[in-house]
This record gives sequence, C-alpha cells and structure tokens, in this order.
Amino acid sequence: MTVVPAQQSGGAGGTSGLYDVIELILDRGLVIDAFVRVSLVGIEILKIDVRVVVASVDTYLRFAEACNRLDLEAGPHKNPGLPDLVGEVTESGARGKSKGALSGAAETISDAFSQARDEGRSKEKEEARPRARRSTSSRSRKEEQE
Amino acid sequence: MTTYIYGIAAATHPALPEGMGGIGEPARKIRVVRQGNLAAIVSDSPEDLRPKRRDLLAHQSVLDEAGASGAVLPMRFGSLADDDEAVVAVLAELADHYEERLRALDGRAEYNVKAAHDEQAVLHQVLAENPELRAMVENNRRAGGGNYEQKLQLGEQVTNAVRAREVSDGIEVRRALEPCAEAVSEGPEGSGWLANVSFLVRRETADGFVAAVEELRKSQPHLELRVHGPLPPYSFVDEGPAQQADAANSTTGVR
Repeated sequence: MTVVPAQQSGGAGGTSGLYDVIELILDRGLVIDAFVRVSLVGIEILKIDVRVVVASVDTYLRFAEACNRLDLEAGPHKNPGLPDLVGEVTESGARGKSKGALSGAAETISDAFSQARDEGRSKEKEEARPRARRSTSSRSRKEEQE
Repeated sequence: MTTYIYGIAAATHPALPEGMGGIGEPARKIRVVRQGNLAAIVSDSPEDLRPKRRDLLAHQSVLDEAGASGAVLPMRFGSLADDDEAVVAVLAELADHYEERLRALDGRAEYNVKAAHDEQAVLHQVLAENPELRAMVENNRRAGGGNYEQKLQLGEQVTNAVRAREVSDGIEVRRALEPCAEAVSEGPEGSGWLANVSFLVRRETADGFVAAVEELRKSQPHLELRVHGPLPPYSFVDEGPAQQADAANSTTGVR
C-alpha cells in the first residue's frame, strides 16, 4: 500500500508542520549506541530560522523606523493585541516583515534543504559514512515540488 | 541489507503499521521485528539515505500511525542497524529499560509549542510600558524621524526592551502551560524562538492543554504561538533532558 505522508492525520501532517517539528525528529528521539546514524552534514542550516531579535545596527534602525510609524494612540489605550481582522491580515504579513528584519530567516523547508544541499555539496569530502551520500539534485528538485 | 529503525513498541501493541510505506523512493515497506515483549518498527534502508523532506515525513508518519493506537518510543531520524538480527540483539539486551519507558509514556503524547513576538504588538506594548521610550519616539517624530544618532539610540533601547520581553514571555509561556503537562523539555538551544518547549501530555487531558494554549493566545495577543501535537514523545524517550513538571511547579514553576 502506498501512503502519502503529507496526508497523514495528526499534529505534524503538512509540510509547514514538518518544518516546525524537524528539530525534534533530528535532535530528539531515542539514540541507541549499537546503531549508526545517517550523517546530518548541512542540516545546521535549520538553526538559522531566527525569530528572536538580534541586537545589531540594522535592528536598531529598523525598530526606530517602526516606532516612528507606529500609531501610538492606538497602542497603550487599547488592548495591546490587534483587532481580529488585522491580526489575520498581519499573520502572513508579519512573517514577511520579520523576515527582512531578523537575520536570514530560512522560511520554508525547501529553502532549508536547498541550502543544506549546497552545504552538503561543499562539505561532501567531509562526509564519513558511505551511505551518507547526498541525493542527485534532479531527484531532490522533484521532491521539493511534491 | 541495512535495517532502518523507526521506533520501539510493546509486542502487545494492537496495530503496528506493518506494510505501510516508509522511507525511500519507492517507499520501503514497514516490517516488525519481535523479541520477547518488544517489537521494533523497521524497514529496509535505501543506500543513499539522507535527511530529506520526504524521508523525514515518512519517519514522522510511521511513528504517528503507530503512536495513535499504543505507546511507541520514537527513534531519532536516521538510525541504522546492519540487519534485523542486530535489532533483535539490542531489544534483548535493553529490554527492561525499554519496557519501563513504554509503560511511563503509555497514553501520553508530546506537544511542542513555539512562540515569537508579533512585532507591531510588542512594540506597542514596550512603548506603552515605558514613558521614556515613548518620549524619545515623540521627540524623533517632531524632528522628522530624528538623525542617525537619535535613531540608533532609540532603536537600541527599544531592541533591549523587546529582548527583555522575549525572555519574560518565554518564561510565561512555560509557566502558563506547565500545569497541564506531566513533564517539560526545552527545545534545542538557540532555536531562534523566544520559547520552544515540549510538553508531555496525557491523551485524556489533551483538550485541557489545547484550551490552555488558547487561553494564552487570548491573554497574550502579542505572542504568535505555534503548537504541534499530539506527536510521538521524541523529547521524553530518555529521562535525562526532560524535567518533571511537578518538580518544576513545586519550586517556583520558573527557571
């Protein structure tokens, strides 16, 4: 029988869900010394999805601008959150904004993996285990489209 | 033929996903290797296995499927044994330990919560709480946005205030959800979120946990929360990294 993983029910079904739990799959879970593990060369890229604020001149200037544009009257006297409608609109919008703001956010799993592949390519010689070879790029491209 | 291991369950598990598609292209079929009271969920491994999206999803899906009807100890992605006999040997050697972990995790699932700030909302909040910053903003505005130095100065102070909020909100997320969980495990260091925490939740109280998350969303609208669960208990297979929620509560609930 063929199972299409993306259609599985459960918490981490879709691709965006996978991206959020990927560190658990790669970094947590049972490890048994007697078994070998596939090389994770290139997967460090996952840590670059930085959503917290990084102190830098870029951030300072951006926050100064953002404060400048902020509707100060709307803030303190109202619920600090945004009205529902605005909240929904900014949910996707905010991601774009914060992406520019926060350093080098890798937004999608395919981004992460294409970069991971590039790293893998450059680090290929370092890969120790024979079965840790990267896939051919044509195959990986196809998977990104899935 | 190399054997890929997805997880370990009790031999009495009612519905191991035998025959389901696993890793590889084409998908390798799931098999079950039994030894004593334990069963390992395995498949053949492709020669060129890498942590690719398709394979990560397959690993997760097989464990999701198996975990839906009974306790499973999820392996970290990419565990390989020389053959099925090597898997049998490990099950035999460490049977007591795995059986104990399966009992401890029976009827429980992991919920992972990640939090980030909604930037507009947190800026509003920081300015509302800090009259000095607010005055700086108003000064800069009167000066047409302020010069470079003024912008840097304002920006630095706002950044510091937002970062302080990240820390306190990270603690708040954990504190708010901890009472609904049996154990708590911090996600990998430096994950880039202000909170990245996994909670071990009894399945019968999962509704309560989800309700607590909704409550947090309402009370802290400047937080963008992402919740994933129920998941296989990746963060709780070993007792090491996870802390008992009870123990944490009995101190201050904050660390």
